[in-house]
Amino acid sequence: MSKNEEKGNGEEKGRFFIGDLDTAAEMAKNALLKGTIGKMVDWANAFSLWPVHLMTSCCGCEIGAAWGPRFDNERYGSLPWVSPRQTNLIIVEGTVTKKMACSVRITWDQMPYPKFAIAMGACSLDGGIFYNSYNIVRPWQVIPIDVYIPGCPPRPEAVSRAIVELQKLLRNKSIAANWIKEAKREDMKNIIPKEDLCGWRGEKVDLNTRFT
Amino acid sequence: MVGEVKKLISIQDLLKNVLKDNVISIEQNKGYLDVLVPTEKLVESAKKLKDSGFDHVKSVTAIDYIAKKQFKITYHISSYLNEELSKYIIGLSTIINRDNPHLPSLSRIWVSAEFQEREVYEFFGITFDDHPDLRLLLLTPVIAALKPLRKDYVVKEESDDIEVDYVAYNTNKWW
Repeated sequence: MSKNEEKGNGEEKGRFFIGDLDTAAEMAKNALLKGTIGKMVDWANAFSLWPVHLMTSCCGCEIGAAWGPRFDNERYGSLPWVSPRQTNLIIVEGTVTKKMACSVRITWDQMPYPKFAIAMGACSLDGGIFYNSYNIVRPWQVIPIDVYIPGCPPRPEAVSRAIVELQKLLRNKSIAANWIKEAKREDMKNIIPKEDLCGWRGEKVDLNTRFT
Repeated sequence: MVGEVKKLISIQDLLKNVLKDNVISIEQNKGYLDVLVPTEKLVESAKKLKDSGFDHVKSVTAIDYIAKKQFKITYHISSYLNEELSKYIIGLSTIINRDNPHLPSLSRIWVSAEFQEREVYEFFGITFDDHPDLRLLLLTPVIAALKPLRKDYVVKEESDDIEVDYVAYNTNKWW
């Protein structure tokens, strides 16, 4: 209300404003997410973890098996999807090269909140067979990771286990509702900035462009 | 086995007939032939080999002889159309100096050599003269400047401590 009064000039003085729609929606969201609805959001998020289709390395084959008919991760309400705009989970499959790190970060920035990340394979923990190499980064230097899966490569069952662990994390700690409210993650501070990751491109990457 | 060796010898004779004076030496090992030619006659011998039926390059690679201060560049060539030649992969090699390394490009003769030469260029820092499009292919500019596949490039030992890594990544231009 007060915002609009400041904005309005003398001619609009007599009219009655309901309020700025955006601020009203923001206030309503914050009020609603505190109570039981927040818990419901967590429950709903736990059973709709859609990973984006981003294959960085060889563990992607195991991902294919994990969502296939034999291991069937779709029974946890999870479905691999192609577009980062409609997904809320990144599974970093294996090693990330310095050139690919830029793509991982851009994909992460394009996803809406709340969003989560799983790092898969020995390469994502400490480098694996590419340890001490000149052209790799660890995924935890690029995006904040919630769950790690060890193994080279991990079995599809291990991927299912990671999904279940992430569901537990979501429902016990009630983080999804929190991150919707703040639209940011606190654990982003130790991560390499985007300008460094994408510096080799020599071009400005505008992440705020929306594809309508 | 004996037949194969005979065929290999016949191909060796063919190479000698085609290239004549250009050949410095022919090395033969387990079904593989490596022809060493001088750098000035590389383009000429490549043209002759293409006319005799070798129609594509399978790979281009460089070997760093750091003690002799030399690079050995090898083009692995073979054939799709000629049935007799398609069973073998022939190496066409040349030796160049290690400081200021450059040699004529063969991508005008064999088009399939173009991307491979770009890869050699960024990993070894070897320049191919009159290459149509000599840009970086796989590496970022900072890594390519290190010439990572040369023998004198040493990777820095990483620490086990994550905090130390953070400091290192924050201070250096790491990409």
